[in-house]
Amino acid sequence: MLSRIARNIYTLGQQIERAENIARILDVNQRMSLEQVYFSELDVWSPMLAITRSREAFDEKYDDVTQRHVLEFLISDTSHPFSIRSCLRHAREMARTVREHISEEMWLYLNKTYNDIERTGKIGKLTVFLSDFRQFCSAFHGLADNTMSHNESWDFLCLGVSLERAQMTTRILEIKYHLLLPSADEIGKPLDLHQWQALLRSVSGYEAYRRQYKARIEPAKVLRLLNLDPRFPRSVHFSIRRVSEALRGIGTANSEQYQLLRETEYFLDDLRGGASRNDLMSMGLMDYLEQVQQRCDMISDMIDKAFFNSVTVTLAGQDKERLIMQIPQQQQKNK
Amino acid sequence: MDSYAIFSSSGAAPYDEAFETSGDSRALYRQAFEHFQGLGPEGVENLQHSADLSMLNQGVTFTVYSDARGTEKIFPFDLMPRIITDTEWSVIEAGVVQRMTALNLFLEDIYHGQKILRDGIVPTRQVMMSSLFCREMSGLNPPGGIHVHIGGIDLIRNQSGAFYVLEDNLRVPSGVSYVIENRWVMARVQPELLNEYRVRPVDHYPNMLFDSLASLSPNDNPTVAVLTPGIFNSAYFEHSFLANQMGAELVEGQDLLVDRDVLYMKTTRGLQKVDVLYLRLDTDFLDPLVFRPDSMLGVSGLMNAYRAGNVALANAPGNGVADDKAMYAYTPEIIRYYLDEEPILPIVPTYLGARDEDLRYMLDHIPELVIKPTDASGGYGLLVGSQASKKEIKEFRAMLAANPAHYIAQPIQQLSTHPTWVEQDGGKGFFPRHVDLRPYAVCDVNGNVRVLPGGLTRVALRRGTLVVNSSQGGGSKDTWVLHPNGTGQRLA
Repeated sequence: MLSRIARNIYTLGQQIERAENIARILDVNQRMSLEQVYFSELDVWSPMLAITRSREAFDEKYDDVTQRHVLEFLISDTSHPFSIRSCLRHAREMARTVREHISEEMWLYLNKTYNDIERTGKIGKLTVFLSDFRQFCSAFHGLADNTMSHNESWDFLCLGVSLERAQMTTRILEIKYHLLLPSADEIGKPLDLHQWQALLRSVSGYEAYRRQYKARIEPAKVLRLLNLDPRFPRSVHFSIRRVSEALRGIGTANSEQYQLLRETEYFLDDLRGGASRNDLMSMGLMDYLEQVQQRCDMISDMIDKAFFNSVTVTLAGQDKERLIMQIPQQQQKNK
Repeated sequence: MDSYAIFSSSGAAPYDEAFETSGDSRALYRQAFEHFQGLGPEGVENLQHSADLSMLNQGVTFTVYSDARGTEKIFPFDLMPRIITDTEWSVIEAGVVQRMTALNLFLEDIYHGQKILRDGIVPTRQVMMSSLFCREMSGLNPPGGIHVHIGGIDLIRNQSGAFYVLEDNLRVPSGVSYVIENRWVMARVQPELLNEYRVRPVDHYPNMLFDSLASLSPNDNPTVAVLTPGIFNSAYFEHSFLANQMGAELVEGQDLLVDRDVLYMKTTRGLQKVDVLYLRLDTDFLDPLVFRPDSMLGVSGLMNAYRAGNVALANAPGNGVADDKAMYAYTPEIIRYYLDEEPILPIVPTYLGARDEDLRYMLDHIPELVIKPTDASGGYGLLVGSQASKKEIKEFRAMLAANPAHYIAQPIQQLSTHPTWVEQDGGKGFFPRHVDLRPYAVCDVNGNVRVLPGGLTRVALRRGTLVVNSSQGGGSKDTWVLHPNGTGQRLA
């Protein structure tokens, strides 16, 4: 497969996943903020900017963080790449370059959603939009699963989705401790529990938690579910396993690709075995999450080098003859 | 005009595809008329809406350059099909095959022995001074000596109802994807009408194209790739469509690399050799080492790989010298010279600014002429004398006098008209609009030419306009070539 095509499919998966996560966190936050009784004092909107890493861009446009500004900024503002609409645009542009590699149904559905939003330019009722948009993302994944050959293209799509998901789940957890950290005497109180519950809902994990643990919400168990659970589809463990499966599907044609796979397997081993659980206990949550972030970032960089911006190139099918040359891919120029 | 109330034949054009001069509908179109009459204005409008929406959601769009935001628009599609009988088509088909064959021989000659110049059939100056003559092609041997692998020949029907050649497109003829898409949309929104006629299929074009391209490589299972300038090109949809339908790789310049005269594409598994490259990029941008050095869209070293015979390019660079508007005037002579046959399809009388006597005639008769620059396409830079203001004529006369060899002129042709769903006089209905026809043909390594039974009927949606180009507000129609004995025969 062409490196450019592989990169564009990967980016397509990543952007859809990113847009979905923005819709998820905004949806939950919106609901939480309605229950003012608990949080009259709490700034619940800044964390949204931190999760999406868009604080800097936001501050350039707005002086203060209000609900209205954040929603506008993260949903419909296309002057920066962090909004749902920007992600959707980007995803659609990527899809347009890889139409012959994804299924017709995926393209039609994505393009129709894009046209509907772009042509009206209006979002309508917020809660309806957010829930419709989440449904669109889920349906898109479903279409990909059901209508696309599970070949190399599919693997790159999964790679983009899964890595983004692992990073997002980590960031959502990070926020809980970083920004919403209640004072010591609040821990275990209604406010704290309410936040954990919201956090679980934002990753569709509330029911999973209830069914799995059949217990009241305990932070340690939430952390275990979202980090280490092998079966919960938004956990770090699950996502990294999908990354590893995708990489195995793609195969290894050179040493960079081999190193990438090896690194991913080490990570997966740690999540699967006791290493991560021990780290989670001993390192403290923040350090642990930071470590997970770093490992995800490293895998992301290695994917870039191994598949999209390869410096060493072998002739396909001729492993012995090895050309060493510098052929950086030109990044698609933005107009 | 007869009993069909939503149809109007009141056009000024001498030849209408669907109406006799008496105002009666032609027998060929009777079932179509009945069909639309049955739908009524509201029914037609609803179908038009669903056809447009279907095109938009499919992404069957082209990019408008004049719009800085790179807006994508659909190529307007008209519900009323253009119908061509088997008898009419067999003439067109034979004529297109003849032209493609002769022009291929002409190009091979021009870039090798130049016999036709030595025999004085075409002036040497006309060829060698042309900005479209490609020195890099001299002495280069493309597979089979074939230069035109994909051609589109623009035809018009004049007052007599006969087909004339308006121009040849031997470089990057576009639009064939709309031929196929139009048929798909037609089958979706009006299957019952399509069923009433016995229409020859068009969706095998990608196979025809692939077979021709694959024949250019000696390998049994060659790697074929389509080279596109990228997503911002106006015809990107077509590039992606053809690659997809052929199962070929769609590549940009950045995906390719030439090493030791072999063309490769960069894949996730390493470099993969490319055997045949279908170019959807102007020659100027192809290889910065040979053509424009500032090109970011091409591949360095591509021409060396081509010259070494390691990759086949389709169409060959340098074809512009044969489809240039000035060379058009010589095409009947070219056909006679190489094939010893009379041209099957006539050309429109053409005056060359380069000839003194023609130039004098042109300067004196501007209001009766269409004047075109020899090297432009897309309907840009031309002057329709009858529709120009005094001031425009004055300006054009000065340009013409300053650079006569750059222009040709033709008597204004009355393009035939065809009923088209448009708004006119405050109401919607089928009104006559001017149309042309571009059939597409492919040629394999042995010189066998195959013509797709159909083609792109372009229609000028603005009343009275003769310019049908999509860049100038044109639309298109599904074009039906009927099976033998398919004329107006209702299937039992």
